[in-house]
Amino acid sequence: MVAGGLMFMPCCRYPEQPYRFLSTEEADCIIALTEQIIPRDNYPGATDAGVIYYIDRQLSSVFHYDQQTYRNGIRSMQKACNEKYKRLFQDLQVPVQIKMMEEMEAGNLNSYNWPGGNLSSFFNLVMKHTMQAFYGSPIHGGNKDYVSFEMLQIDYPLVIGQNRYNT
Amino acid sequence: MKNKRVNAVVIGAGAGGGIVAKELAVSGLSVVLFERGKWPVYDEHPTDELISQRTEVLDSPFGPDHIKNPRVVVEADGRRRIVTPISGGYSNNAACVGSGTVSYGAMAWRFMEEDFQLKTVYGHVEGSTLEDWPISYNNLEPCYEKAEWEIGVSGDDGLNLFAPPRRNKQPMPSFEYNPEGELIYNAAKRLGLHPFPIPMLRNSVRYNNRPACIRNRTCCGFACPVDAKNGTHNTVIPTAMSTGNCEVRTQCMIAEIVVDDKGQAAGVNYFDSKNNGHFQPADIVVVSGGAIETARLLLNSKSKLFPRGAGNNYDWVGRNLQGHAYTGAFGLFDYDILDLAGPGATVALCDFNHHNPGMVGGGLLANEFNRLPYLYSNIRPPGSARWGIDHKKFQYEMYRRTSQVVGPIQEMPAFDSRVTVDENVKDYWGLPVARLSGSRHPLDYENCKFLSAKAEKILKEAGAYHTWQSVGGKGLSGGQHQAGTARMGNDKKTSVVNRFGQVHEIDNLFIADGSLMVNNGGFNPALTIMALGYWVGDYIATNFSSTKFRAG
Ligand SMILES: Cc1cc2nc3c(=O)[nH]c(=O)nc-3n(C[C@H](O)[C@H](O)[C@H](O)COP(=O)(O)OP(=O)(O)OC[C@H]3O[C@@H](n4cnc5c(N)ncnc54)[C@H](O)[C@@H]3O)c2cc1C
Ligand code: SF4
Repeated sequence: MVAGGLMFMPCCRYPEQPYRFLSTEEADCIIALTEQIIPRDNYPGATDAGVIYYIDRQLSSVFHYDQQTYRNGIRSMQKACNEKYKRLFQDLQVPVQIKMMEEMEAGNLNSYNWPGGNLSSFFNLVMKHTMQAFYGSPIHGGNKDYVSFEMLQIDYPLVIGQNRYNT
Repeated sequence: MKNKRVNAVVIGAGAGGGIVAKELAVSGLSVVLFERGKWPVYDEHPTDELISQRTEVLDSPFGPDHIKNPRVVVEADGRRRIVTPISGGYSNNAACVGSGTVSYGAMAWRFMEEDFQLKTVYGHVEGSTLEDWPISYNNLEPCYEKAEWEIGVSGDDGLNLFAPPRRNKQPMPSFEYNPEGELIYNAAKRLGLHPFPIPMLRNSVRYNNRPACIRNRTCCGFACPVDAKNGTHNTVIPTAMSTGNCEVRTQCMIAEIVVDDKGQAAGVNYFDSKNNGHFQPADIVVVSGGAIETARLLLNSKSKLFPRGAGNNYDWVGRNLQGHAYTGAFGLFDYDILDLAGPGATVALCDFNHHNPGMVGGGLLANEFNRLPYLYSNIRPPGSARWGIDHKKFQYEMYRRTSQVVGPIQEMPAFDSRVTVDENVKDYWGLPVARLSGSRHPLDYENCKFLSAKAEKILKEAGAYHTWQSVGGKGLSGGQHQAGTARMGNDKKTSVVNRFGQVHEIDNLFIADGSLMVNNGGFNPALTIMALGYWVGDYIATNFSSTKFRAG
């Protein structure tokens, strides 16, 4: 569904660039981050659900005022990862990623270009957007094929007793 | 093109305005009912949690436009913050024909007799402008009845021990309990409380040529896809139009009530959907914009005799902004208790609305409307994981096993909790926007703690293996239950309108919406606002012909 929508996007100058606002490298970072916010277990996780497409799409429209926060936040995260591990966030082992995220959440990582600020507000923002993407309606780019509704066994369409999942 | 003069202009097609327009139209007055929003569209966002009037993450499906309508919020530390309907803190209700009554949860409460006489019952409350209403429950009783029958309510107040006296029953039978409701009902009974089915502005049976409720999962925050939810948009407003006397003019933003040099309302200035400015002359003007926008409009309507805004010579317009601090508790069960059939809330009790030892007022308790998945992702016991595998597990293991018992606390009116206008921040049309400031009375938090403890006790009794309280009652008031900003009273120095909603000193200017309320009760306010619509509408209709409310 998402890929189909892209064909109608006149703003895509590079055919291999699947995002509207984020660069591929930025997106890889956010994908890794959101996957640990809602990881895959027996049920699909954030990546499977296309959370990144929700975030990217909203950043280029309704949430345009969060663009700088994302850009700064990602840069600061990568700087911290580089200083500590000489790697990009997305290239770290999962337990290390989780440790970094706990540090961010607790406010122990400083932001790159606003010293004194820290990354917890950025983390909270991504977390909120991830929940919206994963648990909201698929028409906004996330929750691909209603994966979270299926996980919660919510009937769709909404009329009770008309479950149309192929289980 | 110049607009033809009409008998009455009504501003705002919500709960109060829709009813006044209908009362005037059926009595033969020519009416223009103005609404800044559109007619609601039912099938655009029927299931979309992120575009619902409940979460408003990406948009408010029933308005107002989040780009054109900013507001300002003043934080406790004095910082000013610009807010929009999707930014949080906006206190949005809606902006469309029907307004909040299209997407509300539709609880249909009558206030209790005590709610109209709080000062007599409880005495003076330090730091609060708590007052008796200039009208009693008995005055309003026939209007409540009219609201229940004309808009349509399902319920049986005979089952509510604390219900105020009534002459007639509600028109439709009450709804049955859902599994969670059953559980709460039985637990409350065992505790010696008096639970009963929540009265609802929804059809339990076919009514008014519209079908019965089919228990759709998305109710509160959404329009009803089968039109079984009753608001002014599908009842009184169509009735008003069918008389031929009422024109509904949508997408028209009223900028100002024009008050002439004699101190009488001459009509209104507004912008139409193409942003062209117009004047609509009228014999009388009725303001029903909801508590925040009504106050803003009055304040933006300056004239020679009212230089600080219409009806504001004593600085009471916009004061006493109230809402409802929601307070209660959550409980976790080790088996499924939710069926997620709509709307979710089925059982309530009024044992704690009044006469709680050492307290002023109180509030009802009820089980909560269905929590959709995104909303639920925010509900966790204190100390739980906010993300990661444990957060996700909780989501799928507990989604149907979490109960919430909550209620709206009776807020103590506070003089400095208020709406003003911000001359430095303008909306799309260049009009100064509403600015919300002040905070709730300290007693509200104490009362919330009391009610939350009661809710937790019920959940424990119901068999929850883990419970926690969520206590409201601090900070700025307002919200979807906004009220109180143009208080009714007998003294023009301590109120904005008289007992009939007539603005003191401007005889042909009336108010009919949540702003009138002297206090907001421990109940959701819509049915009381509707009753006030009938009260004000009947008064105008009865007395219009003699003088048209114009001196000299
Ligand atoms: C999701 C939700 C759930 C709710 N659940 C319940 C419930 O269960 N029970 C209950 O009792 N209440 C509930 N409410 C609250 C209820 O809807 C409101 O209390 C009620 O609608 C307020 O009535 P009102 O007449 O004061 O204002 P409104 O109904 O808000 O009407 C005001 C109208 O005026 C229009 N307007 C304002 N300014 C202008 C202007 N300058 N020019 C033109 N038009 C203007 C607005 O667009 C709006 O349509 C709920 C509300 C929401 C949003
Ligand atoms: S539960 Fe569904 S069918 Fe019933 S009134 Fe609400 S939206 Fe309509």
